[in-house]
Amino acid sequence: MTVPTGLRLTALAVLSGLVLAACISGGDDPGTEGGDDTITIGISLPLTGDFAEPGKGVQQGYEAWAAYTNANGGLLGRNVELTILDDQSSADRVAADYEKLINDDGVDLVFGPFSTRLVIPAAQVAQDYGFLFVEPAGAAPEVFAQGFDNLFYAAPAVADDHYDHLADAIEAMPAAERPTTAAYAAMDDPFAMGTAYGLKARLEAMGVTTVADEVYPPNTTDFSSIAAKIANSDADIMVGGTQYQDAVNLILALQQLNYQPRMTAFSTAPTNPEFPQAIGDKTEGILSPTGYTPEAAYPSNQEFVEFYTEEYGTAPGEDQANAWTTGQVVAAAVEAVECAEPEPECQQQLIDWLRDNEVETVVGPLSWDAEGRPQGAHLIQQYVDGRIRIVLPADQAEAELILDKPVW
Amino acid sequence: MSLFVQSLVLGILLGGLYALLAAGLTLYFGVMRVVMIAHSAFLILAAYLAWVFARETGLDPLFSMVATVPLFFVLGVAIQRLLIARLRPATLTMMSVLLTFSIALVIEGLLGYVFTGTQRRIQLPYGGADIEVAGVNVAVVKLIAFGLAALSLLALYLVLTRTRFGQALRATIQHPEAARLVGIDTERTAGYGFGIGLATAAVGGTALALDSTIYPSMHWHWIGPLMAIIVVGGLGSIPGAAIAAMLLGMGQALLQIPLSTTWAQTIFYVALFVTLMVRPQGFFGGRLAQRF
Repeated sequence: MTVPTGLRLTALAVLSGLVLAACISGGDDPGTEGGDDTITIGISLPLTGDFAEPGKGVQQGYEAWAAYTNANGGLLGRNVELTILDDQSSADRVAADYEKLINDDGVDLVFGPFSTRLVIPAAQVAQDYGFLFVEPAGAAPEVFAQGFDNLFYAAPAVADDHYDHLADAIEAMPAAERPTTAAYAAMDDPFAMGTAYGLKARLEAMGVTTVADEVYPPNTTDFSSIAAKIANSDADIMVGGTQYQDAVNLILALQQLNYQPRMTAFSTAPTNPEFPQAIGDKTEGILSPTGYTPEAAYPSNQEFVEFYTEEYGTAPGEDQANAWTTGQVVAAAVEAVECAEPEPECQQQLIDWLRDNEVETVVGPLSWDAEGRPQGAHLIQQYVDGRIRIVLPADQAEAELILDKPVW
Repeated sequence: MSLFVQSLVLGILLGGLYALLAAGLTLYFGVMRVVMIAHSAFLILAAYLAWVFARETGLDPLFSMVATVPLFFVLGVAIQRLLIARLRPATLTMMSVLLTFSIALVIEGLLGYVFTGTQRRIQLPYGGADIEVAGVNVAVVKLIAFGLAALSLLALYLVLTRTRFGQALRATIQHPEAARLVGIDTERTAGYGFGIGLATAAVGGTALALDSTIYPSMHWHWIGPLMAIIVVGGLGSIPGAAIAAMLLGMGQALLQIPLSTTWAQTIFYVALFVTLMVRPQGFFGGRLAQRF
């Protein structure tokens, strides 16, 4: 097929004209969005794909926070507006999303996405543009090893510090009454191992001898042999760095061998509502760290639980709470330095303020080290009279800590 | 010393469970040269049915077998007649991997859809109970699972050696053409053989549910070790699978003492590699694997 040269030239000219027009109209986009009466906040979340479940939880938390803030006079007297994009749980997309939010949409602030895998690329983009980056999820050590100076993790503690209140309580016991031997079992997973080994380091520093230390792969289904080694060690305290099914199977296997530790603690599993249904009436005295519980008595938490329950009909979970916390942290900085602009000077002021100050949140007062690690610890819960209750720290306790676990 | 004896006992109990779970798998291969990837998915399905039964009726989950064993037998016959019999004999073994892989995915997906991905466990009044014999603790649930395994394997053995159907099934395993020549309807026999294999999954799944936390994707953790067991035992040989299961179960429990859990689990794959290198037809079984 032959096309007359004149026609080709015309087509080329028309095309160039269109491209030029697109460039010009694209250029003035940021100016039209987010006028002076609103603060726009850009967020990318995994609303589909692997992390869709927790991603939606975080979205609910963010949206509830925005609704609550607007109902209470907004931020700096301006309404808050969220721009939420779906990154499909992909690390490539999350970076592109934050580029778009900052460059094309011209958002005033950004909030973090969900999960370590997505937090790192997103934080990198925010760092490149000098944006403050407060994130609701991403507790793994590598998040804090990237050299970000704009990142803050909006939760009480990194994995290693989850058991700090329990370690403090054991340290406070008279030396003669402290456990003298300890057994550890941890899933081969950075989070689960981090919790158990954080307590291990503290106990060893107190002179508690490690008599069993087992690490198992996540696909382990038979725990009888691990239980046999722990039972044989007859340790005073048994610590599990666990998720869910591994803790349940291990506890049953330990009971089957009639091993009776004086204290026992497992991460994650005991706070799951399924747990007492699986273990039955033998939960009494089992300890667990928890990042969030609606029962916590922090002042803003009661308002949060009330508002959230009214909006959604159920009490908030940890994902919702961490998202809300992110909002609280950024809001505290914005109110303190009285700016919420995308310009680097304003963002730097926000970062500097958070570096030096403590913020009251629904998960307790938060402050951070230079890499953005929160300096708190998790609440410690324990099954007391068949219900899971906060026992540590003392000022938050709903029930008294049981030091000598009843027979299970 | 006490740890050694305790681990040995745990290993024997574990080996018994492995033997039951692997028995069906080796039977499918023996009868039809079918590699049944979905076997462990059916185990989990039976475990879920036991859990639902216990939750809804409040009765002991063991009673669920009254329904699940016949149901799985019929299901097995149906799968063989409607799906596997349609595969071309020349590529049967290979294509059966794909077909049963897809069945496993369907079961996993349906379990997730109906029961959600939440991890479940049957709460038994005797779940944590144990009997102490000479300083060794034997869990009641593990003893029941072991007893179920022993009974089912004995029943399977008697059916195969003492009944006319068993003779026909063994003839089909040993030489299908010759079996047809002496008048055995090998097609129908194969269907029933598959049904029996799946019926063992109903028993095995119930035994598994007594002492495990179950979730839809759990079957992927089981299929590897079970495949290793039937290759080491000799494909198609039920006594071979039982012996291999017992040895590997004990090996796993005992290796746990000096090594970590991660390394103790590799015994299945080490045994698999050694078998394929040294004696590909399996250590205890017949000559079937040579045709594989």
